Amino acid sequence: MTDIKDHVSPSQLQADFLEKWVSGEGIDFIDDNASESYQYRAGLIKDAIQLKKSPDRVPVVPLCTFAPVNLYGYTGKEAMYDPHILGKVSLDYCKEYDADAAGAAPMVMYGPALETLDYRLYKWPGHGVKEELYYQFVEKEYMKAEEYDHFIADPSDYWFRVWLPRTHGALGPLAELPPIYGTMELPMAGPWLCALGAPPIQEAYKALLEAGRQCFEWINVLGPYLAQITQAGFPFYAGGATKAPFDVLGDSFRGTVQLMMDLYRRPEKVLAAVERLVPLMVDSGAAGAYANNNPLVFIPLHKGADGFMSNEQFEKFYWPTLKGVMVGLIEKGCVPICFVEGGYNQRLEYLTEVPEGQCMFIFDKTDMARARKILGGKSCIGGGFPVSLIVTGNVQQVQDETKRLLDSAAGDGGYVLSIGCAMDEAKEDTLKAFIRTGKEYGKY
Amino acid sequence: MENAETLTQAIIEMEEEKAMALTRRLLEEGTAPMAIFKAYQNALMAVGKRFEEGVYFIPELILSGNMMNEAMEIIKPYLTEEKSRDDQERIGKIIIATIEGDIHDIGKNIVATLLELNGFEVKDLGVDIAKDQIISEARELDADVIGLSGLLTLSFDPMRELVEALKAEGLRDKIKVIIGGGQMDEQVRDYVGADAFVVDAVSGIKLCKAWVD
Repeated sequence: MTDIKDHVSPSQLQADFLEKWVSGEGIDFIDDNASESYQYRAGLIKDAIQLKKSPDRVPVVPLCTFAPVNLYGYTGKEAMYDPHILGKVSLDYCKEYDADAAGAAPMVMYGPALETLDYRLYKWPGHGVKEELYYQFVEKEYMKAEEYDHFIADPSDYWFRVWLPRTHGALGPLAELPPIYGTMELPMAGPWLCALGAPPIQEAYKALLEAGRQCFEWINVLGPYLAQITQAGFPFYAGGATKAPFDVLGDSFRGTVQLMMDLYRRPEKVLAAVERLVPLMVDSGAAGAYANNNPLVFIPLHKGADGFMSNEQFEKFYWPTLKGVMVGLIEKGCVPICFVEGGYNQRLEYLTEVPEGQCMFIFDKTDMARARKILGGKSCIGGGFPVSLIVTGNVQQVQDETKRLLDSAAGDGGYVLSIGCAMDEAKEDTLKAFIRTGKEYGKY
Repeated sequence: MENAETLTQAIIEMEEEKAMALTRRLLEEGTAPMAIFKAYQNALMAVGKRFEEGVYFIPELILSGNMMNEAMEIIKPYLTEEKSRDDQERIGKIIIATIEGDIHDIGKNIVATLLELNGFEVKDLGVDIAKDQIISEARELDADVIGLSGLLTLSFDPMRELVEALKAEGLRDKIKVIIGGGQMDEQVRDYVGADAFVVDAVSGIKLCKAWVD
């Protein structure tokens, strides 16, 4: 990507990256039919993003985390500890349910590596939550208020020497490392290297290397299953993932409770920290997109939803840096796909400020008719189907609601039929009814 | 002149430093601890009202609750013969918990704080709590309401099982069940068999108050 970047506009760069993705270039398809199916499915998504009027039909893309695992009768623990199981259910799910794009199975992650690291940011099946369930975030004040300045001055140094030792038990000793900057001169390199030799730090690095080795083995088992998914004709709905800077700070560093009080106690620090995160989050998302040859970059949105803060606070603390990340991704040829958790009924107007036809917003609890009205012709929208109906409803209810949703939100293009939540669990009959109805009734 | 009314205003306007300084000064000058407590209570009612009006949101609920808790620490040494906060008359009793399988607690904690401020006796059991424990605690407390929190879809079934167990034990008519969390809707309320669902803290408090009235 970098070689052509300097010569073309961001919109052309993105169009080229999308075109390349849709072509299926480099994929060893099992037959011509698979190749055509891949191009058709990815093409539907591309058309939706680019707001093409009246394409063939809406793309049907329910987002999943553990749902395929659960649909085939496996536990969350089995999926997180055996890549053959994770790979097999991911492949079987694509073939049997036949949605238009596959979920990112590697996001389920590998339990043994997390154990090696004594990973504390989440609890996972068999490790703090029941074996049949799914991983869950453990939100705490991982960064103290007085550490903002360190974070702002040098996020990577803070991340590595303060935050990582706190959130990954086996990496605790890394807190004793001096900064890396002495390596610039021979006479100043000693302290860093000598510290690296201390037995606890050696142990921490061994744990890190071991976790890396475990994940490498894991992805080498999982990878061939994922390859089979694309070879059978299914594109993946995410190439990379990143986050809104405010959510980075609120989820993984300060915690919601502390960050919300920081808006009054130290607003200037919050602003400096989120601004500092913008280029980091752009690079992080784009790196995944380039590595996977897929321009779609997922951005799950958390703490800017209706009810979490006022529009005034959203406009000051949340939106400018989220917009910065989105625009930064577009400039790198990627397509930001915001997964808008909660409701955004008070915020829809802000979302019109991003470049037209280059982003996607998948909604959860937002009024989809209003979303269509305000964002129609500006950005691709999607989602809005309640997960509660998939999990607790019946086929008739799902069919009715899918039709109602398509009537109010599909317009004449620029819509992706999806569920307002990445599903941990689902029911076979309702999910199949959702996908089938979407394909039949979602024709333009 | 600075008095309890000024304190109430400072809290409502989220002027934390001013509110804390004023709390200390008023106590030193001999203002009755219960008057200070009342000033906070009034302020938090006003904050709740602004939340309902869509003026205030989570930051203000959290910060004002936090100011109240900080102030209680300041007041403690002065509470000798005065009535303590716990002696206040309670309007109802509620058991609150995040249901078995789910470990999220931010919403639950905000609700528990607001319920207390609104005069409820609240027993917060924490996260990932089994239905049997919730029911036995409700029985022991003679609770009017059971409040169940759950962020994830995996919370639906355990909540439903709890309501069924309540029925089996003949307690369903005596105890209201309210569920809260990001994915709650009428569909889930009906599936669980709860009396109500809420997706924000203040409307939950309003419902509970109406039930015990």
